[in-house]
Amino acid sequence: MTASASTPSRAAVIPAIPLHRRLYGFGSIYGKTIRDSRLAFIIAAGLLGGMALVMGVAVSNIFPSPQARLEVDKLVGSMPASMVNLFGNATAMGAKLGTLGGYMTFKYGAIFAIGTALWSIFALSATLADEARRGSLDIVAAAPFGKRRIALEKVAAHVTMLSLAMMVLAIGTTVSSTVFGNASQGDTIPPLSSAGFALWTGSIALFFGGLAFALSPLLGRAGSAAIAGLSMAVLWLTSGLDVGGPLVAVSPFHWTVNHIALVGMYDWLPVALVGATGVILLVIGVELFVRRDLGVTAGLSLPGLPTVLLGVHGPISRAMGEQLPRALSWGIGIGLIGALYASLVGPMATQLGHDSSLVVTMGALFPNVDLASTGGWMQLYAELLYIAAGFGAATFVSKWASEEGDGQLEMVLTTPTTRVGWTVAGGIAAILAVAGMTVLFALGVGLGASSGGVPAGDAILGSASLGLYAAAVVGIGVAVGGLWRTSLAGEIAALFVVATYLLDLVAPPLKLPDWVHQLALTAHMGRPMVGEWDPVGIVLCLAIFAGGVAIGAWGIRRRDIGR
Amino acid sequence: MPAIIRTERLTKSYGSHRGIVDVDLEIETGEVFGFLGPNGAGKTTTIRTLLDLIRPTSGRAFVFDIETTVDPVAIHRRIGYVPGEFALYDRLTGGQTIEYFGNLRGGVDAAFRKDLVERFDLDPSRKFKEYSKGNKQKVGLVIALQHRPELLMLDEPTAGLDPLMQQSFYSLVREAQAEGRTVFLSSHILSEVERTCDRVAIIKDGRLVKVDSVDGLRDLAHHEVELRFAGGVPAEAFAGLPGVSDVKVEDHTLRMKVFGPITPVVQAAARYELLDFVSREPTLEETFLAQYGREAVEANPS
Repeated sequence: MTASASTPSRAAVIPAIPLHRRLYGFGSIYGKTIRDSRLAFIIAAGLLGGMALVMGVAVSNIFPSPQARLEVDKLVGSMPASMVNLFGNATAMGAKLGTLGGYMTFKYGAIFAIGTALWSIFALSATLADEARRGSLDIVAAAPFGKRRIALEKVAAHVTMLSLAMMVLAIGTTVSSTVFGNASQGDTIPPLSSAGFALWTGSIALFFGGLAFALSPLLGRAGSAAIAGLSMAVLWLTSGLDVGGPLVAVSPFHWTVNHIALVGMYDWLPVALVGATGVILLVIGVELFVRRDLGVTAGLSLPGLPTVLLGVHGPISRAMGEQLPRALSWGIGIGLIGALYASLVGPMATQLGHDSSLVVTMGALFPNVDLASTGGWMQLYAELLYIAAGFGAATFVSKWASEEGDGQLEMVLTTPTTRVGWTVAGGIAAILAVAGMTVLFALGVGLGASSGGVPAGDAILGSASLGLYAAAVVGIGVAVGGLWRTSLAGEIAALFVVATYLLDLVAPPLKLPDWVHQLALTAHMGRPMVGEWDPVGIVLCLAIFAGGVAIGAWGIRRRDIGR
Repeated sequence: MPAIIRTERLTKSYGSHRGIVDVDLEIETGEVFGFLGPNGAGKTTTIRTLLDLIRPTSGRAFVFDIETTVDPVAIHRRIGYVPGEFALYDRLTGGQTIEYFGNLRGGVDAAFRKDLVERFDLDPSRKFKEYSKGNKQKVGLVIALQHRPELLMLDEPTAGLDPLMQQSFYSLVREAQAEGRTVFLSSHILSEVERTCDRVAIIKDGRLVKVDSVDGLRDLAHHEVELRFAGGVPAEAFAGLPGVSDVKVEDHTLRMKVFGPITPVVQAAARYELLDFVSREPTLEETFLAQYGREAVEANPS
């Protein structure tokens, strides 16, 4: 017997992963996370940059002259003192309040930060928790690198996308002020100011996103997002409404109250402090993720719903059981806002409604609103809340649609439940959710109006207009989901809401042809908060809902069920 | 016995991607029918087409003699189904989930449902999202079985079940068959099919390559025969026999594969002085390997 030895076979040459694949794609966790968040980035950057551009157009059209700019000062001066600094530090701006930067800060400053922070909260609370829930995190964690690197790459990807979105915001702000603003009235916003505003926005987002990320290894996605979101709302309101108390001291909005970058007032140290706190929270999240068991969270021990509310009796009750938490969340949210607005309409109408120049100015933006009456202010706020009701409806559509993507529909449809039955049940449940949301809004409006000593009858009934509009959004979403793909139903419904809102908001001040304005469904709602209903709008909304569900039911009979 | 499932040149393609091609199947009432194939062969596509979850590109399928695209609900009333992969309602408990699907069928025998839950050793009070993969599978099986359907369509039903629960499942399948019900199960676990099924279809690359009884498939397979001779090995006397291949000699031992009847080998061997004669009956797995080739199976380990 002989033995022989041969040269060991050479190991195969493994090609290096190209840098561009590591940065975007499947070359690294970072690259894949960037790729996965591209749609969210497009939406966030588009909304932020778009809002900056729209602000430039709107302000230059509504306040074209120095006299008109004085109306902004009057508006601020006549507002309840507690409300003045809710969105931005108006009192500190002085004469600069009448500039584009001042107006943006006063009216919408906090909206930019809160919207961006919501994105960060959702992204960072989910980036690890969702993978853990799907089970893919186990496989990723079995790769030859540690948990710390996984978490760091995930965080780095979101910070990259956030930074890019902030760049879009900064560029959009400067471009908007340069192209649409009036330099002689101080509208020009230099790059440093835009960058300062974007940095503040990004820091606030990082702060609350970091909080969500730090909590997510302990509480999971829903719990961490809820606590971070609630903290943001409380800390914003306590700072903006200047209610005092210990909470104000920990509010990043309060820390940075003197950083009003869009009018050239900088306070960099607090902004850096907010950003640094965000980073510390992210580090805490990374370390908790490293130290804790993978995918094991404590969750929030909320009491379980009774079976009757969970809905196990049939397709409609089951769909309603799934929609109920969303309906309550949206209803309570817009109900609180409605209550707040309704409680303020009395003084607003008294103090502002008789200022003829302001009425003319605001009339350019909201031609159907009578600012001299409390009902007119109610109508103004309702028109501003159509977008919230529409987004609520889009999330109801999204929940209905997820049954197909998540695989539940496959099992449901192998019972005697028909495709048409499932679609109609989903539509009914979504409309019940809309009804619940609308009733809570109406309750909020009623309570707010009562506390402000204002008649509330018409406004309570008029709240139904939000429900009608939301019903139409449901119809569009169900039609898309049934006819085409449920995975796109919620997104397309949301796009419809955004397009409608922008069209209704921009068409009057830009003096676009009336037929363009009429394309917006909300342009056909009349003035329901003062009891003036437009039958065309009512019929349109109901027809779009019923037609949408019918089209969806017809469409889903014709196509394959996805998984 | 009438065919409970019948397909005629059933074809499903996803754009340019193959699904299944010209599948002709007939499954009789009361039999346990196994559907074997590696991952991606078309097992799930076939089942989902039979359930009208997806529509055939061409060809037709009938279940209970009802064309699947004409009245799927009439079919669904009489079947129980467990998909290969499924997700149910995270916020419901296992018990609530089972109750819901029972309600969708107009209610079920609660005592039988309870019995099933106990046999699968399932804790119905836990939220569905908290279950392990195996426990989720148990929920799916109880949902499929609780209304005593005439036809069970099970896509890889024992995935995730521990061996004890697999035994419970097999006994439930036997009981279902004893009650005259039909079971159509897909699997790539050969021992499972061998243990439970009367007939087997093998699908590969979207096409049916074989439909036969489990015993018939075995007969089709080769026997591995090993002869140990007292003297020299007369390899040439065996190499030419019908069905003999892969003849190998090692010292005084002759090894060969025999396809078909083994009688000619036995008769030839009788002419020599033998120390040992070993003929190994092939397993279904070896049959499967013979059908697919080892490469295909090894590329898709179960």
